[in-house]
Amino acid sequence: MDKATDVFMRREGDVVIVNIKGDVTAQSEQVIEDAYEKISSSGYQKILLHFDENAYINSGGIAVLITMLAKSRKNNQVIYMTGLSDHFQKIFHMVGITNYSKIYSSEPEALQDFA
Amino acid sequence: MLDVKLKGKTIAMVLPSKVGFERVAMECSASYARILGFAADKIEDIKTAVSEACLNAIEHGNKGNTEAKVHITMAFDGQGLAISVKDEGQGISHPLKEPNIESKIEGLEGPRGLGIFLMQNLMDEVEFEKPGNEHVVKMVKYR
Repeated sequence: MDKATDVFMRREGDVVIVNIKGDVTAQSEQVIEDAYEKISSSGYQKILLHFDENAYINSGGIAVLITMLAKSRKNNQVIYMTGLSDHFQKIFHMVGITNYSKIYSSEPEALQDFA
Repeated sequence: MLDVKLKGKTIAMVLPSKVGFERVAMECSASYARILGFAADKIEDIKTAVSEACLNAIEHGNKGNTEAKVHITMAFDGQGLAISVKDEGQGISHPLKEPNIESKIEGLEGPRGLGIFLMQNLMDEVEFEKPGNEHVVKMVKYR
């Protein structure tokens, strides 16, 4: 019943923008993991995750993101996030994700900080 | 006043124990809270807490048994929206300590196990009961 997660990637300079369309749950693990591995094997160090503002994100999805953040730390990559609703920004702060990834209100703002 | 009409009224639903159906309870709780006049941010808190309680019931309480059910009730007493989520198993063992993001990032603990933490931080009251061969999570959000 989850809205399937689709991931679209595009480059903006040396940043890979990962548009995550749909819900982020435990069922999203494979598609998000595949995208991350593709990015890493291409040597990118700067990653911007762009979520749907209306996405349903549950604890299973947060776990998928934590796994990605753990890998990125080992690979010396930087992950920023944008597109999150106020509610999920609050939750990501509550869980502590914001200790490992900055959250921006817009894509241009995040890209500017990457520069 | 709508509140007066709803006071003491209970909504009950029984869901299949299958991942994805937690969204039915989530949307129902949101609709009820909206009718009761809860602020938008509190409705989002309720949605996430209900979703996590149902997911725990499906995945940990009923342990993936698709023949089992998840029983949900919602009632408003004029001040708070009380929601209970009952599985037909033993629920989930309560973590002794709060999840630690640093440990998760370092791989010292698994990335999951955030559901109860979210419920406890998003709702005003959360308690767990084990009457017989069931497990119930009771949560309250005040308006």
